[in-house]
Amino acid sequence: MSTVLQARDLTRYYDVAQGFLKPSAQVKALNGVSFELQAGKTLAVVGESGCGKSTLARQLTLIEPPTSGSLLLDGQDAAKASKAELKAMRTKVQMVFQNPYASLNPRQKIGTQLGEPLDINTSLSASEREERVRAMMTRVGLRPEHYYRYPHMFSGGQRQRIAIARAMMLNPKIVVADEPTSALDVSIQAQVLNLFMDLQEEFNTAYVFISHNLAVVEHVADDLMVMYLGRAVEVGAKEKIYSRPLHPYTQALLSATPSIHPEDRRVKIKIHGELPSPLNPPSGCTFHKRCPFASERCQQEVPELRALDERMVACHHAESINS
Amino acid sequence: MSLLEIKNLSVEFGSEKNPFRAVEGLDLIVNQGEIVGIVGESGSGKSVTMMAMMGLLEGQGRIVADTLQFDGKNLLTISARERRKIVGKDIAMIFQDPMTSLNPSYTVGYQIMEVLKIHQGLRGAALKQRALELMEMVEIPAAASRLNAYPHQLSGGMSQRVVIAMAIACNPKLLIADEPTTALDVTIQAQIMELLVNLQKSQNMALIMITHDLAVVAEVAHKVAVMYAGQVAEMAKVPGIFRTPTHPYTEALLKSIPEHSKGAHRLSTLPGIVPGQYDRPSGCLLSPRCPYVQDKCKAQRPGLTAIDGGVVRCHYPITAKEA
Repeated sequence: MSTVLQARDLTRYYDVAQGFLKPSAQVKALNGVSFELQAGKTLAVVGESGCGKSTLARQLTLIEPPTSGSLLLDGQDAAKASKAELKAMRTKVQMVFQNPYASLNPRQKIGTQLGEPLDINTSLSASEREERVRAMMTRVGLRPEHYYRYPHMFSGGQRQRIAIARAMMLNPKIVVADEPTSALDVSIQAQVLNLFMDLQEEFNTAYVFISHNLAVVEHVADDLMVMYLGRAVEVGAKEKIYSRPLHPYTQALLSATPSIHPEDRRVKIKIHGELPSPLNPPSGCTFHKRCPFASERCQQEVPELRALDERMVACHHAESINS
Repeated sequence: MSLLEIKNLSVEFGSEKNPFRAVEGLDLIVNQGEIVGIVGESGSGKSVTMMAMMGLLEGQGRIVADTLQFDGKNLLTISARERRKIVGKDIAMIFQDPMTSLNPSYTVGYQIMEVLKIHQGLRGAALKQRALELMEMVEIPAAASRLNAYPHQLSGGMSQRVVIAMAIACNPKLLIADEPTTALDVTIQAQIMELLVNLQKSQNMALIMITHDLAVVAEVAHKVAVMYAGQVAEMAKVPGIFRTPTHPYTEALLKSIPEHSKGAHRLSTLPGIVPGQYDRPSGCLLSPRCPYVQDKCKAQRPGLTAIDGGVVRCHYPITAKEA
């Protein structure tokens, strides 16, 4: 098995203007995130809005460079790559967005949109491109005769299939999917998730699956990273975390997820309030203001990720809470 | 006596010659203090039913019903003036996207007070006092300072709380929540659901929850109506409907939830999509997608038959033995 993606201490800060003549403030959108991803595996990134999931996606897809930290794509360091090398690297990582109504160009035919990655990155002739596009359309469950149709002629589920086909056109090593099913109905969601799984099996693609739906994540993920305010709070194998979540935030997320059999739920913990402003994050553990187990230590000292019970967890009291 | 009684409601759009029936022969009874869930895919007629009942479709759809009664008043025959006294006061509604259901040009305090001015005739200090009370009831922290906030200054969860405050301002007898938590994060969703259920209990309101998320309904509702292509496919009590669904559509919806097929590689799916205006089959509306379809289903539309604690629209309902 080969490691296709390796992130080490990835950070991304944004400067935010506070107003005329005021010094600009800094938002630490991503604050030291590390992980590894193997070919054919899925890493799920979970957290609330504003926790840095999408910032992470922007770093992974090389849309913007990280403030610090290193990113190795298929063994190649993104920070050291030249412009031409970066262009080649970008073909290895593709993205599927949340809203298929906004991520497709309404004025372009489906065939053109799907052929564009090939047009830019390969030297295939027009007829070869069309052949590849039609083959990929069949692969994702679209009718190849819809080649000349426009996006508005498709339903939401079909559009997401088109978006997935577009991401798969260059046979990427990694696909970053940012909430790919949250705009879809449950029955359509199931179809799209199945498609993701089938494509992974066929092409051995690695997925970074960003979602806030823990039920979906449990189905697709191999590994799980729970994020809170720019930091990973719990990282590990899916089975380990779902069977015994150690971080209070993971526990809260799991117990907040609605279930069709609510009476079978094991963990029950409630958290109050909302995600604090990333402009002015709380001192110490950023979760302490909402955490039912917070102590004085949590207000002062930032907990580091440490190994515990076969996963990494960032909590001072992980042992005492879960004993 | 039941609070809301709908019998044989149909809503048609389009021309007289070639109408599209968005809702067809819908029966629904809601008692005081009851939580009813209405679930179904996009396009199944969930929202149109509620809009028709509240008279929000005037000039667009043709509404026909045997009975459309709320609290002893016939909603079909009352004048617009009388209707305005009921809607917003005795029947209140919460919409999906809190960011767009608030007016961005007015402070949230003004918008809450507007409801109280119109329906309860409050003025001056009493008005402000009541608005503050409402904001505290929906657990908005630092309510006094938030009265003068504009919607863009509030988070999604906070905006939804403001919308709820407006909805419960006049102690409604019936609260309709149309996808109240779809746009929110799971932890905030859990908080809003808890708030709604607490308010429902303390005010003894009836609550209709429209959603496509079966799990949300499973957590709170007393009974659930599953809608498909404008008809009620099945209506039954919770948790019975989630343990032993009798309609193939309910069963398929439940099976397509990732939570249902834990550990399975593929999710079971219902092929196809909800039929639109021109492709409605002549027989049972589900027949092209139904895994148990028989000849009779293709020829004849099934009526509603009574089952244990509810109704089902199927020629061959699934019995407990088969499931």
